[in-house]
Order: sequence, then structure tokens, then C-alpha cells
Amino acid sequence: MRPAPRGIRPMHEHTATAMGVQGCPVCTAVLPIGTPYCARCGTHGHTLERAGMTWNGSMQRTWAWLLTSVLLYLPANFLPIMYTRTWGNLRESTILGGVLTLWGHGSYPIAIVIFVASVLVPVGKIVILVWLCLSVQLRYKSARRYKTRLYRITEFVGRWSMVDVFVVGILVALIRLGNVMTILPGPAALAFAGMVFTTMLAAGSFDPRLLWVREA
Amino acid sequence: MGVTDFPAVHIACHECDLLVALPVLRPGQHAYCPRCNFLLTANRPDSQSKIFAYSIASLICLALANLFPFITLNARGMEQSVTLLGSVAILATEDHRLLAAVVFASIAVIPALLLCGLVYVSVAIRIGRELPGARTCLRWTIALAPWNMAEIFLIGILVSFIKIVSLADVELGLSFWAYALFTFGVVLVSLNFDRRELWDLLDAARAAGHSSHA
Ligand SMILES: [Zn+2]
Ligand SMILES: [Zn+2]
Repeated sequence: MRPAPRGIRPMHEHTATAMGVQGCPVCTAVLPIGTPYCARCGTHGHTLERAGMTWNGSMQRTWAWLLTSVLLYLPANFLPIMYTRTWGNLRESTILGGVLTLWGHGSYPIAIVIFVASVLVPVGKIVILVWLCLSVQLRYKSARRYKTRLYRITEFVGRWSMVDVFVVGILVALIRLGNVMTILPGPAALAFAGMVFTTMLAAGSFDPRLLWVREA
Repeated sequence: MGVTDFPAVHIACHECDLLVALPVLRPGQHAYCPRCNFLLTANRPDSQSKIFAYSIASLICLALANLFPFITLNARGMEQSVTLLGSVAILATEDHRLLAAVVFASIAVIPALLLCGLVYVSVAIRIGRELPGARTCLRWTIALAPWNMAEIFLIGILVSFIKIVSLADVELGLSFWAYALFTFGVVLVSLNFDRRELWDLLDAARAAGHSSHA
């Protein structure tokens, strides 16, 4: 599926930064470093600040989003994500509680889907991003290819955590059988959605080129 | 060293900053970064026509998905049928407006804006003229792309479907299938999407427009 790069050789052993240029992240134009505005696509601001590979801007934003996502992940797990009201009884369920209930009912495939999307992916994503940030800041240079691939996977799978929020939304909209059974969303649903968005913003703020900077 | 020393055939790897000289790609060829293996760009046959066609088809499917019942639920003689917009409205009335807005934006508004943007850019490319705002439009399309969650919502529907099956009879309505097709179209569009190629084509459209005016 992924052929080795055919016919492509690096022009020099040089990075764009070493040649005094930078790639526009939006339209891939090659611009002189420090250009505040890309004439080809009209991008400006911190999207173009990538030049010069200073880790300050990128790292600060990544850490800030990561911290926010951790703070949102706590209520997302401990507060109820969904209330089920049957004949006047109100039962609340958390994310993990929901997974355990599904497992107990023998719905192993959905239990696994929800567990992976709501627990494994977000926690894994936060851990990987923290590790990548630390390895940039501590100038820990090994396994760059591997780390870049991890970053790529993190960026790709992040959105899939939203599954559980959508499930809650659909159940709320659908199961409104008056006294028999009504489902209401809990505060964790919004916290969890916020957590997914902030981890996506954290991954987007992280600049993987920093993993490849040679000189300290 | 000035910018003119690096004509359009060079590309700086987005993920490791290597400056790569791009060869001319044959149809079906993909160019990966030799250092970090990032997909730099690709020559996908007919990708422009495909983006144009799939975008229009998906938009039609999304419009259809609003017309019919989405899911119908039968439990103890009570029948409940919701539409796509109706379900968002229910979420909003239960005093969870922010949640409703987040869900609606990520499953319908953002993907629809994305597709409209691509249709507009495609028209500009196809008629060979730079339409007003085409560049801004493509820039926004690229910025919005990560926030489209249509295909994730589809998985969400299937998961909730399996969850409810034990409680009640559920029937997937016509709108569900329209939405599934819409999602499929969005995925096909994203598989054919290459930002470098689209900007190159817009540049070519601008050049063609200038030469025809002259
Ligand atoms: Zn640009
Ligand atoms: Zn690279």
C-alpha cells in the first residue's frame, strides 16, 4: 500500500530552515523565513509563525491545550454522562460504568468499541503528546521516525473519541417514552466533547518538525 | 538565498522540514518524504473531477437525509420517529443547547460547508477563472477539514442501534441510508483531497484567467 518513495531524493541533506525558507502549512508554498503573510493562499498569523523552529509558541500552545484536556477529562469520567429515568427512578451512568454494564450484558463488541474510543484513545493520546513534548524539550533525539509516526497516528485517531458523545445524543433524542423510559444527557457529555476538542487542538499545535531539529 | 531559488517543484516536509525536490509524478504515484515518510503529495487520477462529483452527490444525500424519518423506535406499542433535524431540536430543548450545537456542527454543518467550499473551488478550477474568494474558500476548507465528524457519527448510530435493540424494535429510516451515503461521499472526497494539487490548479486557473483577459 505504501511504496517506498520512488524517484525522490532529498535535494540536499538540508532542511528548509537551514536553507532560509519555510513551507506554508496551508498551501505548501516555499517562502523565505519570517514572511508574515503567504501571498499564494493568504495565510498569516501564528499558522505562519512556524518559521525558525522556535519551540516556544508551539510548545506553549500544546502544553496549554493538554492541561485543559486533562482538566476536562476528570469530570468527563467522574460525572454521569447519561441519566436513565424509568418509572420515576433516575439512574445515572458514567463512561466506565456504561462500558461495564455493556460487558455484563454480553455486548462485548460495543463494550470494546466504547472502551477504546472513550478511554484508551484519549488517555493514549494525552500520554503520547506529553512524551513527545518532553522529548523535544529535553532534547531527547532517538527514534525520530517512530515518534513522527506516533504523532501521525495520534492526529488521525483523535476524532474517533467522539463516538460516545454521539451515542448519548442519539439515545437522548430517541428514547423519550414518557414514564416508561427517558434518557437525559449528563454533564460529562459536554466535558468529554471538550476534552476531545482540546486534545485535537493540542495535537494540531504540536510541531513535529521540532522532533527533527539537529542542533540544540 | 531568495525565494526564487526554490520554484514550485520544491516542497518543505510538513512534519520534518526536509526540503524535497518533487519529481513529476505519474498517475497513481505518491511522493513520500525520504526522511520521515510523510505523504507529501500524490498524483491521483481524475482527483479533481472526483472531488467535484462526490461533493455534489454528498450534498444531495445530506439534503435528502433531512426529508425522511431517521430512526423509528417501537416499544410497548409506542412509536417514536425522529428526523435528523428533529433529534438536534430535541437535544436543544432539553436545555443542552451547547451539546446540541457541538453535535450538529460536527455532523452536518461543518461537512456541508467543506463540501460547498470544494464545489466552489472546483467550479473556479473547471471554468479556468479565479472566482472571487476562491482562495479564502480553499483556505477555510483546509482549516475546517479536521472538524468534520460525519463518519464518526455513523459509527455512533450503529453503536446506539445495537444498544437499543435489546430494549425496543428499531428501524433505520430512509434518511439513515441517505446519511450513510453522504458519509461515504465525504470519505471519498477526503481520499482524493490533496492541498498542493488544489492550490496548483487554482494557480493555473488564475493564470488562464489573466491570459484570456489580455
Ligand atoms: Zn500559503
Ligand atoms: Zn519529512
